[in-house]
Amino acid sequence: MVEQEFRSDKSGYMLMNKPGYPRVSSWPNLVWVIFLMMLFITILLWGVSFLAYAPLEEMAEWAKTPNPAKAPWYFIGLQELLVYFDPWIAGVMLPQQILIGLILIPYVDITPTEQGHYRWSQRRFAVAYFTFGIVFWATLIFVGQLLRGPSWEVYWPIIDYDLTGHGWTREGVALKQGGAKLGSLSTGTGLALLIGFFSIGMVLPFLVTKLFPKSRPVQGLDKYLKELGYIKYFVVQSHVLMMIATVVKIVLRLSFNIKYIIETPWFKI
Amino acid sequence: MTEHQNQRKTPVQKTFELISALLTDNPIYKSIFRTGYPSTLLKRMAVMRSSFYMHIFPTKVGEHGLRLRYSWCMGGITFFLFLLLTLTGILLMFYYVPEEHRAFNDMKDLRFMVPFGVILRNMHRWAAHGMVLAVMLHMMRVFYTGSYKAPRQFNWVVGVLLLLFTLLLSFTGYLLPWDQLGFWAVTVGTNMASATPLMGYEGPFHELLGVQVDNDIRFAIIGGTRIGPNALVRAYVWHCVGIPLVATLLMIFHFWRIRKDGFSGPL
Ligand code: HEM
Repeated sequence: MVEQEFRSDKSGYMLMNKPGYPRVSSWPNLVWVIFLMMLFITILLWGVSFLAYAPLEEMAEWAKTPNPAKAPWYFIGLQELLVYFDPWIAGVMLPQQILIGLILIPYVDITPTEQGHYRWSQRRFAVAYFTFGIVFWATLIFVGQLLRGPSWEVYWPIIDYDLTGHGWTREGVALKQGGAKLGSLSTGTGLALLIGFFSIGMVLPFLVTKLFPKSRPVQGLDKYLKELGYIKYFVVQSHVLMMIATVVKIVLRLSFNIKYIIETPWFKI
Repeated sequence: MTEHQNQRKTPVQKTFELISALLTDNPIYKSIFRTGYPSTLLKRMAVMRSSFYMHIFPTKVGEHGLRLRYSWCMGGITFFLFLLLTLTGILLMFYYVPEEHRAFNDMKDLRFMVPFGVILRNMHRWAAHGMVLAVMLHMMRVFYTGSYKAPRQFNWVVGVLLLLFTLLLSFTGYLLPWDQLGFWAVTVGTNMASATPLMGYEGPFHELLGVQVDNDIRFAIIGGTRIGPNALVRAYVWHCVGIPLVATLLMIFHFWRIRKDGFSGPL
């Protein structure tokens, strides 16, 4: 009686909705899991709340700027990016692109059957790309939250100043200065570099499939590109390149002291 | 799962059955829980259907979906933390007034005067951090199991919006204690808005629209040229009314879709 109703379920194409698939009644199996989860979370939250106090510093005062002033941890990755980018990129364009990229994931995926398990052999690229993004994000948070001290200089977390990162600026105590002198590329070089990077990046995968048609991994790449089609490819690759470009810019800044790739009177990249 | 076994009952079992029969086999209990105690499979299906709260769950679930190593229960944890935050948040509202000269003192009162105020505030604070963490882990779980694929693409989109609103919820709450920590964190955060191209007074091409410090997007967000009493009230209203409303609507939609599309599983 009950079973019949499930068989006429429209979403019957999934294994778990097929008649033979092991299914159990939600009561008590699922209800039990949920109940234990609620109990566990409640106890955990109570425990933490008894042991650790929510931070409360001195009353807000406009005239007393703490050094450093840090964003909450989940946004500190963006603040960390301010070292390498102007705010309109670090605080606006990059977060916007992250959100758009996340939203587009389901619409550029071409392995619809690979779901419902942690097996990644058919979606290596997707998993690698997503994981890289997560690790990148986590690294930025780690550096920003724990390794940055006054004037956003790198501080070893156990020395120099207190870990909360909100020591006051003290008069007469010189803050560490921003070290080396930073330079920018000339507009021509920068423009060439940027356009070159994105155009080469766009055609590189196709070039590779033409140059090494024999190698097995490249054949896999070829198949992947064909299935993807040009529109999806463009969407995916432009986001991949943006992420790589972000990393490259960080490397350029750290190892060659390059502040801007492109400097115009209106905006700087 | 476990069917009734009528052989050899211990006295403890007999007592237990007597008590539960007394509790559940009476008109009052049945007026509340129509199906009676869900002891048989049929009643177990019925109880999920006839109860308003249980109806959010399906009557039967695939076995793999129950395994914690599949779902990590992270979506559920996120939602439960949201409920706890609503509860503690409402209680905090009794003691807190978003006014420049009062807000910080109300925090002190919660710490030293209000009975259980410390625990209340601590719970709200740590649950908020927990929810941000849980929602990120939930997103990772959904990605790594490929659960965003057809037919759940749009629910992933709704999820991304929920992620954004969770972050905003936490961020607006950060300012409310009106201490140096929140004040400057929110100053740093909202300053980024002034760099928005065209619409922020420090952003590229802002001159084209005649955008200045007192009419740009940051000014609209914080109601002034710097974080002040207006920003405090705005943060409060967004935090306690605006964003929770939107997030709740999105969650209703999120759960509805999970029920309609079914929980993900191997094809
Ligand atoms: C306030 C935030 C959120 C809440 C309360 C929430 C809640 C839930 C719950 C309770 C489930 C059931 C399965 C589970 O527990 O894992 C679920 C599934 C799902 N969530 Fe969320 N979620 C939130 C945010 C997100 C985000 C950020 C994403 C992705 C970007 C997302 C995408 C999905 C998808 C696609 C499913 C279906 C998964 C499946 O069938 O395996 N959700 N969500």
